[in-house]
Amino acid sequence: MSDTPHASNGRSALLRVLRERPALQFVLLGAILLVFAVLPHLGLMRFSTMSIFAYTGIYTVVALGMNILLGFSGLISLGTAGFIGAGALGMGVFLQMGLPFELAALAVLVISGSLGALIGLFSLKVESIYLAIATLFIGEILRQIYTSVPIFGGEFISIGPVKLFGFLELNQILQQQRSVLYAIIILVLVAAMVLMHNLVKSRTGRALMAMSRSEHAAQAMGVSLLKYRLTAFITATVYATSGGILYALYFQNAPTRAWTLNISLLIIAMVVVGGFKSIIGTFLGAIIIYGLPNLLLKDLLGDISYVFSGALIIVVILFYPRGFVFVWQDIKRLFVTAKKRTGTEAPR
Amino acid sequence: MADILRILFNSLQTGSTYALAALGIALIWKTSRTTNFAQGSIGTLNAYVAGILLLSWGWSIWLVALASLVTAFLTGILIDTFIIRPAAKVGAISKQIITLGLIMVIVGLIPLLFGVDPYRLPSFIPGASVDIAGATLRYNTVFVIAVSLGLMGFLFWFIQNTRWGLAIRVTAASETTAKLMGVPTRTVTMISWASAAMMGTLAALIVAPQASVNPNMLLDVQVSAFFAGVLGGFTTFAGPVIGSFIIAFARNSAAFYLSDIWGNVIVYSLILVFLYFKPYGLCGKKAVKKV
Repeated sequence: MSDTPHASNGRSALLRVLRERPALQFVLLGAILLVFAVLPHLGLMRFSTMSIFAYTGIYTVVALGMNILLGFSGLISLGTAGFIGAGALGMGVFLQMGLPFELAALAVLVISGSLGALIGLFSLKVESIYLAIATLFIGEILRQIYTSVPIFGGEFISIGPVKLFGFLELNQILQQQRSVLYAIIILVLVAAMVLMHNLVKSRTGRALMAMSRSEHAAQAMGVSLLKYRLTAFITATVYATSGGILYALYFQNAPTRAWTLNISLLIIAMVVVGGFKSIIGTFLGAIIIYGLPNLLLKDLLGDISYVFSGALIIVVILFYPRGFVFVWQDIKRLFVTAKKRTGTEAPR
Repeated sequence: MADILRILFNSLQTGSTYALAALGIALIWKTSRTTNFAQGSIGTLNAYVAGILLLSWGWSIWLVALASLVTAFLTGILIDTFIIRPAAKVGAISKQIITLGLIMVIVGLIPLLFGVDPYRLPSFIPGASVDIAGATLRYNTVFVIAVSLGLMGFLFWFIQNTRWGLAIRVTAASETTAKLMGVPTRTVTMISWASAAMMGTLAALIVAPQASVNPNMLLDVQVSAFFAGVLGGFTTFAGPVIGSFIIAFARNSAAFYLSDIWGNVIVYSLILVFLYFKPYGLCGKKAVKKV
């Protein structure tokens, strides 16, 4: 969170450093987002706005996992909502059983990670639309369990104040503590971004991309399909479940009926609209799909905001099929050509 | 005996709605190469048209059904011309997400156009029923099953035996080649979207009397139709229909004989296991991929 020394060196130096060390980009983004934890206390922002940013952060974590599947491995999952629900409701159940927060989180992650591994095994046999709908089966099975099995309660599980590391008790109702919870979400988000950056720039990331371009060629080069399919699906489910855990942490209650196919589709939309294979793009996607409609459009347009965001998805995909993050390249190109034109025309 | 018959009649009716939706999804999958997540929403939108016509002008159910099928035809054509056609070069996953955008637009438009109150639609043949071995069979159920099966039979005959059916099959096999051979692929996909929208609307009209016309009325049908397509195999048109009836029957009997809570979970898990051993469904064949 120490971006001030760079800033004093001038803008271009900062940009150069950011380009050389992409991890710093994520830290900078985190620092900007952390400001929103303080603003409501100064009376400059509503607390509900902070919650929208918290929600956007949670969605970004989940969408990052989806980007590993969609962007890097060329696989698709329609069961994401089920795994977010597993995170939130699993935490609810385990915390009510009296487990400490960290242990409960670990247990939930292990359970859904192994479910992810199962899907990975499954994906070796089943492909394309059949695989997509097989994951929809998993999502529906999870949803059925949440809504009808008695241990998950009726409408929602109320979690109440959580105790972190055995001493830090945080309650969502108290405004100061809510800001701390928000800060934790942002820290996890930055960690998730850095982790994903390192993963995709490593041998694993290259293997995943090879697999997405051509399975046969990848296998011929010695990439083990089994190993990397498992990696992709386990990472994606662990990210989705972490999103659910963050949800349980921040909102401190977990609804049972909310985890439908539409949530999974929204997550995919974030990746598609934001940008395949782009970490910042995924955040941008979450802002466009969730943040923007809830921050601005609801106030400006009222009831029509849902129609507007649907239309926005369609328009962005039609004009930026690779993702909205590539809009910068277009702007840069326009800028460069404009510069060239004025440069050649000047001597005449 | 009465229980089995009751489950059978019930499953045939729900199975028909799944089959109608699944056929629409399969038709679009084959001609436009995209999974239409908005199949249910398009049907719902046009069921609202039927609902509002019935309420404000007092037309009979037959007339409003006809009117809503006409608007469904138009919706299908509009969606294909303005959204799906321009997206021809967009990647496969992005194309699927376009249909998600479509869901959001439709679900957002419904309260603006029709208000927030749910509408009621009556059955086609209200009241009358007949007893068979202790199980009541409503004439409406018979009618629904007959219409759905008749329509599907017509569609199969159409696709196998007419020039336009041939055009659909050729487009499904390879759009580029079909275009080079002079097949009007644009018209084929347009008609596919229009007929898929009509089939979705018909499913909505069948479901509506059991509850009401509301934005989520086809959620279960939509998801089950996807499952049916995978169980039966998307490569044929018969597969999704067979899959629909199997899923409807399996879910109803599992809920009745095994457990109310775990019935669906058991059926879905069994289908997943089945898929592991037959990854292309009951009737599907593996698409040959050249490296």
